[in-house]
Amino acid sequence: MFTEIPIRASSNEDELYDIAIIGAGPTGLFAAYYAGMRQMKTLILDALPEAGGQITALYPEKYIYDVPGFVAIQGRELVQRLTEQALQFGADLHLSERVLDLSSNGERQISIISSRHHYRARSVLISAGIGAFAPNRLPASGIERFEGRGVHYSVKEKATFAGQQVMIVGGGDSAVDWALALEQISASVTLVHRRDQFRAHEQSVAALFNSSVRLKLCCELNEVHGETALEAATIFDSRAQTSEILPVDTVIGMLGFKADPGPIRNWGLAFGRGRAIQIGPNCETSLPGVYAAGCIADSPVKLDLIVLHFGQAALAVNSAKAYIDPHAELSPGHSSDMPHPGRKVHAVAAP
Amino acid sequence: MAYIITEPCIGMQNAACMAVCPVDCIYEGPDQHYINADECIGCGACESECPVSAIYAIHSVPSNWQGFIDKNRAFFGM
Repeated sequence: MFTEIPIRASSNEDELYDIAIIGAGPTGLFAAYYAGMRQMKTLILDALPEAGGQITALYPEKYIYDVPGFVAIQGRELVQRLTEQALQFGADLHLSERVLDLSSNGERQISIISSRHHYRARSVLISAGIGAFAPNRLPASGIERFEGRGVHYSVKEKATFAGQQVMIVGGGDSAVDWALALEQISASVTLVHRRDQFRAHEQSVAALFNSSVRLKLCCELNEVHGETALEAATIFDSRAQTSEILPVDTVIGMLGFKADPGPIRNWGLAFGRGRAIQIGPNCETSLPGVYAAGCIADSPVKLDLIVLHFGQAALAVNSAKAYIDPHAELSPGHSSDMPHPGRKVHAVAAP
Repeated sequence: MAYIITEPCIGMQNAACMAVCPVDCIYEGPDQHYINADECIGCGACESECPVSAIYAIHSVPSNWQGFIDKNRAFFGM
């Protein structure tokens, strides 16, 4: 749980990437592996602070049974393995960065404007799933005033909360898991949930009831207070119909996510059914050098399975390789014949 | 794979499901809430959120509430 993978995140804006991958869900991560294998200088961008897309945002604890080679794999573990596989060739993964605009500058180069930087790439893969995820904001009075300085919607570094009085709001896996993780380093952890049942993994809930986490069930966060810094929070107990003010240094909202297809509509791409981008047999879109794969791509038979999206990712990246380098073959050859930095070294038993 | 809202929602319409749905695919009907199968991504966030356990994955709808599958389709004119 919460294993940190070292991530290279250079932000050299003069860099010309061979491929920019928009969306670090399973499709984008597997695409990054293929891009690395094909020696493409790779950038991956994602709006969320963690890789993994829908799996990370919506069901990290669920088991997935239709990934080839695994009888069952927990969502979180699949993301971890995909990330490790994706980054072995040194791709740049930029998180908490939303792509706002994409345009061709006419010299077989595509310009990408994100919420933080401006990039150039020779090809682009849009693997943005159902859109950019944004956390549901806490519906409490005064909350905006402390956003980013006392009020948070994710945990980037656990150590930030050491010795603090932390209040977590929510009743899902993220809320429960982080309450348990922060309990070990924070001065106190209070978990506020508007129901009396958690929608989290059974084992985690059992651990929660045996922990020092103070539970405020059937309660809602109504207001946060403080002069310059966050100092206290008012919670309302809907059963007792009473309010209570608790001293807090940090409030973390974990109320799920909304997906926003956002600005992709304005990039001049042809769309198929619904919100999906029209693609051709090589996953190419209507814009030269721009490919799409995964949930966001509208293929003739639209079946949103992770295994099919992996296939599209491989097809799109190999097509992009052939597009940017006319001497390159579409076929990557066998991965078993290629040098891999992340290769497994098998121990040879001594005679 | 879509989720179906069944009997316990009728007259209850708590709407907790609407708040938690990441793609806003749950709509308020005259008597109950309905999930649009074309928009649903099958994440299941609504299922565990429903305070009256009215929401089921389509293949797990209890036999006495199977009629809600058609009722759901009819609501969206499918």
